[in-house]
Amino acid sequence: MKSLTLERVSFWYPATEAPALRDVSLAVAHGEIVALVGAVGAGASTALLVAGDLAPRLTGGRLAGTVARRDRSAIVLPTPWTQLSGMAFTVWDEVAFGPANLGWPTHEIARQVDRAVEQLELGPLAARNPATLSGGELQRVIIAATLAMDAGLLLLDEPSAELDAEGARTVWRLIRALAKEGKAILLATSALDALPDVADRVVWLEDGAVRAAGTPDLLGEVAACDAGLGTSVATLWGASGLPGPYPLTVDHAVRLWR
Amino acid sequence: MTAGRLHPFTLLALAAALPALAWILPAPAGGVWTAAVALLLTLTPGARLTPGASPGFRGVGFSPGSRPGLVVFRTALLTAAPFWVFLRLLHDVPTTIAIGLRITTMVASFVWLAATLAPDRLVEATVARGWSVTAAYLFAATITAVPTLRDRARRIAEAQRCRGLSPRGSLAHRLRALRALALPLVLSALHEVDERALALETRGMVSGARRTPLAPPPDSAVERAARWALLAACVAALIWRFK
Repeated sequence: MKSLTLERVSFWYPATEAPALRDVSLAVAHGEIVALVGAVGAGASTALLVAGDLAPRLTGGRLAGTVARRDRSAIVLPTPWTQLSGMAFTVWDEVAFGPANLGWPTHEIARQVDRAVEQLELGPLAARNPATLSGGELQRVIIAATLAMDAGLLLLDEPSAELDAEGARTVWRLIRALAKEGKAILLATSALDALPDVADRVVWLEDGAVRAAGTPDLLGEVAACDAGLGTSVATLWGASGLPGPYPLTVDHAVRLWR
Repeated sequence: MTAGRLHPFTLLALAAALPALAWILPAPAGGVWTAAVALLLTLTPGARLTPGASPGFRGVGFSPGSRPGLVVFRTALLTAAPFWVFLRLLHDVPTTIAIGLRITTMVASFVWLAATLAPDRLVEATVARGWSVTAAYLFAATITAVPTLRDRARRIAEAQRCRGLSPRGSLAHRLRALRALALPLVLSALHEVDERALALETRGMVSGARRTPLAPPPDSAVERAARWALLAACVAALIWRFK
């Protein structure tokens, strides 16, 4: 069952003539992870704002096409420091901010917050003031805060941008686990190397339009690598003059080489 | 019980009642009493203007490790002192004392409130009282805005200094440096407002939401009675003065 469907969606920011999205159609089913990739300005973040009902409702602008959502959505924006509530003075309270706003009973809030804190390994930071955290710690707090709201549709804009390698691996594993639980996940990322193991489908956006969509194998195609959207291994393989299709991961490359 | 453990509404009531009484009661006796009480409050154990004491006022520039009560007391006195100088330049000695004591009461009450009132407890109290979440947010955001903007201004100043901008020299030079600080500060604050609006909206903070109070501070019958008593005292003093 589809959690989110965009049909021929175009979107214009206020006072702009060129659309940020042009005739974009995509769908995300429950249990599915769809990754939006593209160069800066391709429209991936805008697609998430539209999917989350934030654009044009809060950003202003104009929308054409149809957006259908079956679930409540929660979004992680790319700058965690602007997502602090300003009303919470411990990490635990920051994570509880969203569930409390939903009016849930206290015991349910505590259950969801404790679970999210554990999933993001935030236990040692639970009593810290969020304003004192590093960028990576803050990113984990904001992701936990999003998970604690138990939304059916998760929208993640560069969820690993502020994280170190280990933190990023934890988040990617968590995203995969959340999809297994039945969450629908739409994410925009430039961490292309993670996608072969994480994403079910990849949508390549270019100038606000869908240029190609398919399995993560898309990231090993010559055109994607030429556009700077291949995985590191695929790009290296292509740069070496070896024939396509390019391998996406080291394991895949080793198999092809042998 | 330290002052910080009092219900936030009690702290607000005390900080409002003292200046009110200072202006209502006849000078200079009224001002002497209210200023004395306000300055004594700054010496109470819960009043600490040290980093980490009150989340909204973290790192306000007071030296960590100082004896907390004395820091708040000294801050109140140092803030009030310039008013006395200006008053003396403008007025005779009796008027200076009359108005100076009232202003000292106001300053000491506010400094004490800033040192004891934790914004998170205030938010919890307002939400528990049935206020809308947006009104509670306005309260907390106002209280935390000053330290947040000051932190950002410091970061911007450091960044501009790294680019060779010096805040020293002639007046024109200093004004140019001020512009290089103020413009990014205002623009970044406006940009952050946009992003934060998006973030708050998606985290359920919409108009009319009934937020669940997470840890509402206890409000005892004694404290409620004390607040009513403070209000009654102000009204009684007002009636007595205009009788």
